[in-house]
Amino acid sequence: MDKGLLAYLLIPLLSAVIIPFAARNRPKLADILANVTLLAGLANLAWLALRPSIIRGEFADIPGDGFSLLLVAAVYLVALCVTFFSAWFIEEGLPNRSAYYSLILVSVSAMCGVVTTTDFFTLYVFIEVLAVTSFALITTDESGAGLEGALKYFFLTFPASALIIIGIAVMLMSLGSLSFESLRFFMASDLPAGPVTFGAALMLLGFIIKAGVVPFHTWAPDAYQGAYAPVSAHLAGIVTKVSGVYAIIKMATLLRFFDGRAQALSEMLMFLGLLSIAVGALAALKQTNLKRMLAFSSISQVGYIVLAAGLGTPLAIMGAIFHLINHATFKTVLFLNSASVEKSAGTTDMDKLGGLEHTMPWTSWTSIVALLSTAGVPPLSGFWSKLIIILALWEAGLKGYAVLALLFSIVTLAYFMMMQKKVFFGKKTPAAESSPEVCAPLLAPVVLMSGLIVALGLLFPYFYVYVKMVAERILL
Amino acid sequence: MNLIFIPIVLPIIAALALLLMCEKTKYLKELLAIGTSAVALLAAANIFLLPVQAVSYAWLGTGITFTLRADNLSAFLLLAVSLFSLAISVYSFSNPNKGPAKWFFFNLLMTQGFAAGAALADNLLAMLFFWEGLLVFLYTFIALSQTTYAAKRTAMKAFLINGVTDLCLLAGITITAYIAGTMSMSEIAQNKLTLDYGWSMFAYVLLLIGAVSKAGAFPFHTWIPDAATDSSAAFMAYVPAAIDKLLGIYFLARASIYLFTLNGTMQLVLMTLGAVTILVAVMMAFVQKDYKRLLSYHAVSQTGYMILGIGTLNPIGIAGGLFHMINHATYKSCLFMTAGSVERQTGSSDLSKLGGLWSAMPVTVLCFVIAAAAISGIAPLNGFFSKELVYKGTLDTGYTIFFLAAELGSFLTLASFLKLGHAVFFGERPENLKETKEAPFSMLLPMLTLAGICVAFGFGARLPTNWFISPALAGMNIPHPLLSGFHPDKLYFVSVIVILAAVANHMIGLAIGGGKPSKSSDHIHYAPVLKETYAMAERRVFDLYEVLMDRAVPAVSLALFKADRFFDWAIDAAPSRLSGFFGGTSRRFHNGSYPLYMALTLACAAVYILLAGGLK
Repeated sequence: MDKGLLAYLLIPLLSAVIIPFAARNRPKLADILANVTLLAGLANLAWLALRPSIIRGEFADIPGDGFSLLLVAAVYLVALCVTFFSAWFIEEGLPNRSAYYSLILVSVSAMCGVVTTTDFFTLYVFIEVLAVTSFALITTDESGAGLEGALKYFFLTFPASALIIIGIAVMLMSLGSLSFESLRFFMASDLPAGPVTFGAALMLLGFIIKAGVVPFHTWAPDAYQGAYAPVSAHLAGIVTKVSGVYAIIKMATLLRFFDGRAQALSEMLMFLGLLSIAVGALAALKQTNLKRMLAFSSISQVGYIVLAAGLGTPLAIMGAIFHLINHATFKTVLFLNSASVEKSAGTTDMDKLGGLEHTMPWTSWTSIVALLSTAGVPPLSGFWSKLIIILALWEAGLKGYAVLALLFSIVTLAYFMMMQKKVFFGKKTPAAESSPEVCAPLLAPVVLMSGLIVALGLLFPYFYVYVKMVAERILL
Repeated sequence: MNLIFIPIVLPIIAALALLLMCEKTKYLKELLAIGTSAVALLAAANIFLLPVQAVSYAWLGTGITFTLRADNLSAFLLLAVSLFSLAISVYSFSNPNKGPAKWFFFNLLMTQGFAAGAALADNLLAMLFFWEGLLVFLYTFIALSQTTYAAKRTAMKAFLINGVTDLCLLAGITITAYIAGTMSMSEIAQNKLTLDYGWSMFAYVLLLIGAVSKAGAFPFHTWIPDAATDSSAAFMAYVPAAIDKLLGIYFLARASIYLFTLNGTMQLVLMTLGAVTILVAVMMAFVQKDYKRLLSYHAVSQTGYMILGIGTLNPIGIAGGLFHMINHATYKSCLFMTAGSVERQTGSSDLSKLGGLWSAMPVTVLCFVIAAAAISGIAPLNGFFSKELVYKGTLDTGYTIFFLAAELGSFLTLASFLKLGHAVFFGERPENLKETKEAPFSMLLPMLTLAGICVAFGFGARLPTNWFISPALAGMNIPHPLLSGFHPDKLYFVSVIVILAAVANHMIGLAIGGGKPSKSSDHIHYAPVLKETYAMAERRVFDLYEVLMDRAVPAVSLALFKADRFFDWAIDAAPSRLSGFFGGTSRRFHNGSYPLYMALTLACAAVYILLAGGLK
């Protein structure tokens, strides 16, 4: 456990405990407490990482490996956007308002646990906590679709928990330790791999299922579509990324894919990554529901990260980390926008929507920024991460993978353009006639995130220095 | 600023200033153009009188410098270009047929500036820059001279023909520069290239194509007769008659004498090209029924004499070619100007509708007679002397056949001008032309000046040969004998015989044509074999451009269209259909069925574990 970051885990947990008692008679207090907790954490993080002296020193004074810090920041940022959005989104009469915020804060602290832990068992525990909170969060509005999605999420990812615990058992028996460092030292040595990599492979499969990589993605569309609207953004933006994708990147570095250990695993991971990209993008092309389409898009984007993690070279790891952060930004914007559309027009069926750009200009423009970033259009941040991933593939001699990754990025643009055209452009449909722009507080998170997308793209050199530092530290 | 820049930069600045002027201003544009041309002429004269000078600036790096060098030949050419620019500016002062004044003078001044640049450039690439620039203004010149569709079409024809041949020139210059290792003409000339091996032969042929196409030789001439009917007389007098001939023959001389040492084969090629151009074009000219169109074919035909002269490769012939170049520009410009003033005063250029204008337009007639006599090679006008030199050079090579072809061309030239002059200025005047008056002074002045030059260069042939031609040859290091002087030798008598034969032919033609001068060529036009040939020529069967446009272009564009559709299908329709198919399949698969999902997850997990466990 990285002691320096322990506070980020404990304070949200404390808030989560306080909220039900404090907000019993004053429901609004729950909003305030949750938001203040997350905002304070974010401010603290900004002070930690973005002081001018730190930036001048090329982030050499960052505690830990830097990766954890970056992800904690992403967790806080997305969670803050979601809670801020929720504060104005949740209907007045929702009975379990304080439970909702408590669950979000618990999931934040579980995610902080996941990204700061240094051994597999703690990782497993926090991932399970995350799974349980997510399950509860999906059913927030107690609709049938939400319940179905929650059940599918729970049952279809259940094999993952089993596989991870088996993998941990195998590893404990063969390696004798569960800390990340011991696995790293083992893989760096010349000892025959044998059961250790098998145990690692089982754990990896668990994380693959949790990340929603094709062909283990089947829970994702239903869960994202059925979940309570802001929860979709929380789930797609950060929860599944931390519980699955972060762990995959971590495993990729620990298994030292870059120097050819666990070659078979590396190849399988890359194949699954490309399969995810392809299936996610192609399936997204034909969706009619906005949230479902975004879910498939999320699967496709996870594919890029998994592909890069499977390659495992320093450049690829950099691309994977960068794309993970970018994905959190643009997917949060898109899902929150879909929630706004749902609130305003009452539906997310793209066949019924149209011409919303006239009544909802802010939502439309932030969508454009986010979708262009997803498709990798310069100078937005998504461009750089995809560029790095494709460059890494090309450099490693995997030209076929590089070309396909590039081609499917065109498909990404295609389905997002179709989405934008169906929902925001064109003639106003009856559903769009009576749909005013949502209120400013609901727009603030997406505008903030869109600004971040542009800023990360334009300030790429600084971010590159940071990510390079991270990649160097975790691949040592 | 160096003096050498004035003839280039001043017209271009003036042309751009013209664009700023209001369309309604009267005489301001005309006066600006005349003033600019006059200053440029003075500068050119000054450059001509000064010793050889050059300026050089680093331009594109790696041996490509922007070098202007006014050696004897270039300065002579610059002087001629500036002189004709001034003459046409003055001539166009009150000529309503030239199209919109603003655009006419813009094009004129731009052409002047770029032509001056092409004449002065020493670096091949700099010359190409100016040369290609002329192409743009050739297009706009024709396209803006009339508002008809035909003008646009002819402009496109001129543009495409010259564009293709300019590409040849570009390729030729590239290869030449590569072989020679330098782009500077004066440096190449110090160590001339030979045609000993394939690449240099290829380079020379490409340069030759570029040069003779600019000069308007067969088979690149076909836009000129079209332009004669579809654009203004002032344009014809300026570009095809003067500027194009000057530049084309200038560069032909540069390439053939200055840059390359030619061999016997290439000499034959050049002379054949010259002779064929003379005969084909003059045969066409002879039967034309339109004033300007007839003149335009002669503009092509006379190019043949210049190519023939330079093709002889002996000093006399080259001197004759260059002398004929300046003479031709003089009298052909003058002739087109007479056509323009007749057109302005009568409203027609159709020979059958004109006649008997000598009493109404005495000065025009005087200029026409002098210029027509000059082009026909009647002693002692300038055309006689330059043709003498060409003939003498041709005979010196020993190929009598080319001499005979040239003399035949001379015969037909005179015959067609007898017909033209008779039809327009003599004979009976039609009823509707009774009120015709003489053209205004601003049109007569340049005509008279050019006719005066024809006479002056004839009686005083010593002047131009000693001042212009000899220094030009000396500048290209060609030793040469005394060029001037009137020799009543056998060549003179041959020319007298040609004159008599032409007059006799005209008489016969008149007799057969029923006394109508416009029909005096019909006995040849409808002669047995020629009749069909002429009919085919009228249908443009021999016009390479039209044949290509009619036959090859539709087929090629259809093929390209098909290819484009295929690429469209390959990169647009097929992928979108394919991805649509996969997308639909995948959409149908994700039907929300829990057992299906669970089965897929477990099956794939099993496969993964087996693979990870070493089953490979």
